[in-house]
Amino acid sequence: MNRLLTAKTICITSGKGGVGKTSFAVNLSMSLVAKGHRVLLIDGDLGLANVDLLLGISVQKTIRDVMEGGALMESICFPSENFGVLPATSGIPEMVDLGPEEQGRIGTYLRAVAESFDYVLIDTAAGIGTSVLWFTSIADEVVILLTPDPTSITDAYAMMKVLAQKYGRKTFRLVLNNVTDVREGLGVFNNLRDVAERFLKLDLHFLGAIPHDTDVSQAIREQVPFLKRTPDGEAARAIQVIAEQV
Amino acid sequence: MKYPQCPHDHPDCPLPADLERLRRERETLRDLVSVDELTGLFNFRFLKSALEREMERTRRTGLSTGLVMVDLDHFKQVNDVYGHENGNLALQAAAGIWKNHLRKIDIPCRYGGEEFVIILPNTGIRDAIQVAERLRQELAAVPVELETETIRLTASFGVDEYREGESLTVEAFIHRVDMFVLAAKNEGRNRACYDPARAARPATEVTAEERASLFLKRKP
Repeated sequence: MNRLLTAKTICITSGKGGVGKTSFAVNLSMSLVAKGHRVLLIDGDLGLANVDLLLGISVQKTIRDVMEGGALMESICFPSENFGVLPATSGIPEMVDLGPEEQGRIGTYLRAVAESFDYVLIDTAAGIGTSVLWFTSIADEVVILLTPDPTSITDAYAMMKVLAQKYGRKTFRLVLNNVTDVREGLGVFNNLRDVAERFLKLDLHFLGAIPHDTDVSQAIREQVPFLKRTPDGEAARAIQVIAEQV
Repeated sequence: MKYPQCPHDHPDCPLPADLERLRRERETLRDLVSVDELTGLFNFRFLKSALEREMERTRRTGLSTGLVMVDLDHFKQVNDVYGHENGNLALQAAAGIWKNHLRKIDIPCRYGGEEFVIILPNTGIRDAIQVAERLRQELAAVPVELETETIRLTASFGVDEYREGESLTVEAFIHRVDMFVLAAKNEGRNRACYDPARAARPATEVTAEERASLFLKRKP
């Protein structure tokens, strides 16, 4: 396996909350680790940590320690070999807005630590706040996760429009979550792609569709990633297909 | 840049000196073509080509181009009362303020007389308004030293933005921002005018047409 000198950075965002970003990020990370890659997953929901909850791990240090001058590697915990997690904090509203100084500090640390990983995945918060926009601006790729309902579709489009207008980002990969089947996912994607191309001249790519799977919500409640709990489930199989293309 | 060398290392070769002289003359000519001699800002000729370039960049990238036009207030009186030499000093002082309070990528130009245009690449109207306000306040706050007097200057500002999807020529864009300068003059000078509707509706807002298109049909 080739080891990259610097990691590929993928930002997972959505606009709308509650579409399954964190679950997707956690399980995609695990799928990449299973394929032999070294993965760092950053919980970018800085004030409302979720990644550690979905993994069922307890954390001692968080990204807040990094922002306050602590060493990045000391704040990373390893739920398994080759899988590092930089947790966020819970219930600290001040963490949500990254100022230029915090951005600079985190950026410096990430560049240094990227050499220890093949992939850096960033699970952003919902919305289009400062931290979300900054994380997307530093990523090599932005993956937009959405569900096939009007609010999620509109928010995903709005997110892409903001990123296009503010940062000139024109290419996005989309994952449709909680779909009835792949056909429904492709239908939503095709329409969104056509609108984005017509109005914004964006280049959208279909990364995959994850079908509705009752195992997913059960896994979340049990704080076990669904890839681990039900590796042969529909959602787990879909994630593995997506990991092949990342 | 390295001083030219004789390719055959002849000690008395006249070519290096000639080449160096030509290089300096070329730089001087390039400045004459682009730079306003009095203020050191870019001149009108450069303004048109630079603005065309930035508007093309907006069309390709989707990132807006901001434009600020500045007209010094009551400048005819400055010339009439203090003379043209002092008027030139005032223009240089204003130009100095623009240069000190802009980003390196911003393009300040002397449009003509006491008018200036500042191109703000990758800048939306809200940020452009902030820039204009900053320049306006700085100009009003800093005393201008003439030969024998110290005066205060103010200016009227027009602020506009070129967004992706707009069909506009360079001339039309400049004319549009000029109208806002006129509005600022009519409203009492020493202020910045812009389209409040445009400022209230950011370029990133999803339009009604886009929303309707998102749910028109779904392809199987």
